[in-house]
Amino acid sequence: MTGIGKSFGGVAVLDSVNFAVQPGEVVALLGSNGAGKSTLMKILTGVYSRDSGRIEIDGAEASMATPRDATAHGISFLPQEISVVPDMTVAENICLGAMPARTRLGVAIVDDQAMRLRAQNILSQLGFSHISPRAFAADLTVAERRIVEIARALAADASILVMDEPTASLTEQEAEMIFRIVRRLKEQQTSIVYISHYLKEVFVIADRIEILRDGRNAGSFLPRDTSVATVVEAMLGTVAGEMFAAKTPRTPGETILSAENLSLGKNLRDVSLTVARGEIVGVFGLVGSGVELLGRVIYGAEGARHAGNMQFAGRPFAPKNPADGKRAGIGFVTAERKKDGIIADLSVRENLVAPFQRRFGSALFTSRRRETAQSVAWIKSLGIRTRGPEQEMRTLSGGNQQKVCLARWLDPSVKMLILEEPTRGVDVGARREIYLQLAELARQGLAILVLSSDVEEIAGLADRALVIDRGVIAAEFAHGTDAATLMAAAA
Amino acid sequence: MIALSRSRTASGVLILLAFYIVLLVVFSFLSPFFMTLRNMLAISSNVAFIGLMAAAGTPLIIAGGLDLSVAAVAGLTGVLIAVLYGFGIPVWFAVLIAVLIASGIGLTNGVLATGLKLNPLIVTLATMSIVSGFALILTGGLTKPLGIAGFNWVGAGRLFGIPVPAILMLATYIVLAVLLRATRFGRYIYAVGGSEETSRLVGLPVKPVQVTLYIISAVSGAVAGTMLAAMLGAAAPNAASPHLLTVIAAIILGGTSLQGGRGSVWGTLVAVLILGTLNNGLTLLDVSSFWQEVTRGVVLILAVGVDQVRQRIQDR
Repeated sequence: MTGIGKSFGGVAVLDSVNFAVQPGEVVALLGSNGAGKSTLMKILTGVYSRDSGRIEIDGAEASMATPRDATAHGISFLPQEISVVPDMTVAENICLGAMPARTRLGVAIVDDQAMRLRAQNILSQLGFSHISPRAFAADLTVAERRIVEIARALAADASILVMDEPTASLTEQEAEMIFRIVRRLKEQQTSIVYISHYLKEVFVIADRIEILRDGRNAGSFLPRDTSVATVVEAMLGTVAGEMFAAKTPRTPGETILSAENLSLGKNLRDVSLTVARGEIVGVFGLVGSGVELLGRVIYGAEGARHAGNMQFAGRPFAPKNPADGKRAGIGFVTAERKKDGIIADLSVRENLVAPFQRRFGSALFTSRRRETAQSVAWIKSLGIRTRGPEQEMRTLSGGNQQKVCLARWLDPSVKMLILEEPTRGVDVGARREIYLQLAELARQGLAILVLSSDVEEIAGLADRALVIDRGVIAAEFAHGTDAATLMAAAA
Repeated sequence: MIALSRSRTASGVLILLAFYIVLLVVFSFLSPFFMTLRNMLAISSNVAFIGLMAAAGTPLIIAGGLDLSVAAVAGLTGVLIAVLYGFGIPVWFAVLIAVLIASGIGLTNGVLATGLKLNPLIVTLATMSIVSGFALILTGGLTKPLGIAGFNWVGAGRLFGIPVPAILMLATYIVLAVLLRATRFGRYIYAVGGSEETSRLVGLPVKPVQVTLYIISAVSGAVAGTMLAAMLGAAAPNAASPHLLTVIAAIILGGTSLQGGRGSVWGTLVAVLILGTLNNGLTLLDVSSFWQEVTRGVVLILAVGVDQVRQRIQDR
């Protein structure tokens, strides 16, 4: 791939990027969120069209206009979310693209035996002959499903395999299985593009490391000649510091939340943390690390399934549902804004007053007048760009929707705010405003817990930073730290 | 009128209202008897039974639920009144017991659908079958004459010259409209139907709201059943069930989204009037009831189709 360029709506996402893989080479593609990794790979696999540049496979130019072209050229993409069909057998999943068939009475029917044989062959070629082709995908472990997915790519004769975070949500031993497969594929001259946030992993498995930053090539390294620190520096470049409020040392008040040994299955294990009034505690974790569960467990959104003890505002706290969390004085801003953050059909006003409707009316009735007054005040103080409180929520931009999701918790009864991925899908301007708002709220004495997979966000925002990795707290920085240190601690 | 403020729904209701007026005009040209006070009152009385159940079904569907058992509950109610009255229980007390039993059925529907997270379509289909079954068992499948002095008034009486069923129905619509529009409970209904997950995460009482609406729906079935029994002067276990589809059709025709989150009882009311007027007008024109069925289906498709097109234009 040479000179690849791509813009969305006038914003350049990729700017003359070069990228190449040799047969039997494992290239790690690295970059922080929004660097352009997935856009580049989507262009390679024909999902997006490119604005400029050329793609060559085996020396011949390839158009790569559709995903079908990519498959025809032997390129296979394994997305981060595993996509096996749970109600089908391993053999069916592996041969999903092209099931072997035989003709009976003029009708093509699936040849189960040939399919099982083919699946068996590929699995043993990968070194996992213990996975039965007859087993249902639903009964496999996450790691085994990942392997089935890789086998499917091979069944489609893939010669270039793009793997996006293949070890996310896997344990270390399970990740080791993926490495074994990668090495085997390499011996068979398959080329592999390996996208991962886990730097340690990358140094073990990759022949070469390619780095993207802000849609440009930002360095090419050989693992044996470089260090984690160098790679991280190339990934992050110079961080735009003015995104965040200057870190004036705040003196945190008394501890409001203390959690001990929170556990939930194998995704969260013995996590302990405290949050005090007037401080922003940031938890950084990669996707699948448990960062997406921790806030929900504390708030009560995961029900009462978790183990461990919590104290909130000096009282034992064991929430069974979100209503318990709210009653105790916790506000929660979700990462999945569209799914469980907004009510798209309702107005901005109705979304704003949703958690505390009691405040704006009598015992029975709502008061439109009081709701509107408060909504207008919030719209103004948070700079929510809207035509007015009656605008339908669905028509707001992501950043403004996020401000609504934050504003609705600005109630005197809320003592602590939990925010998951507070600026995911939020434009740069709104992002900065949200950061400043959070700093101001902390200054006023609110306890804030931010959970994020955006390393710069945690580095820029947190007075105290924790790193979560594979369900456990891997590091804690009492006075906050920079993005590079956090990334290295997680990787 | 209580504000029709949810803009998308409001314009839908206006289109429906326009359609209703066209219908009135066309029929008054075709039949001299149509546009008389007497006939209008007859229509209002005839639609009350369906209108009542459709009224209560509307907030339930807005909140993301569905109740197919409501007509079966109406049928059972008539039977219960007949049986209990036969035991010498005063009729008002018999009605009260029937309403309590209906609440129990609604509670069961609600708990199964929300607590166990079963599909409401299947849950209420099952309770529908169970409830109709009991109505048949209690009567041996026969229609029981009631012959209760004064009871007939509920179904055929008049108050200030207006049929009692029509008054009951209108009162229900007004109460539910206020509930949906002006109370906190009403707000919860739209929120829960709009996004159950969001509602849960902001700590709203999602399940209690839904369960309450299942109970309200079942109770509306009981009241409608009482009305029907009084109107017929008999308890017919199967008299109500054929009307279930009309109830659901009216709610959808009225602009309530089956996905939840959107709708209004006024839309349902206009839809009920349209369907009732269509019946009445076609009967006056001597169109066979078989053709009436066909016409009703066509009107339903037309109305829903027009609404879809309108929304698509609006969303552009």
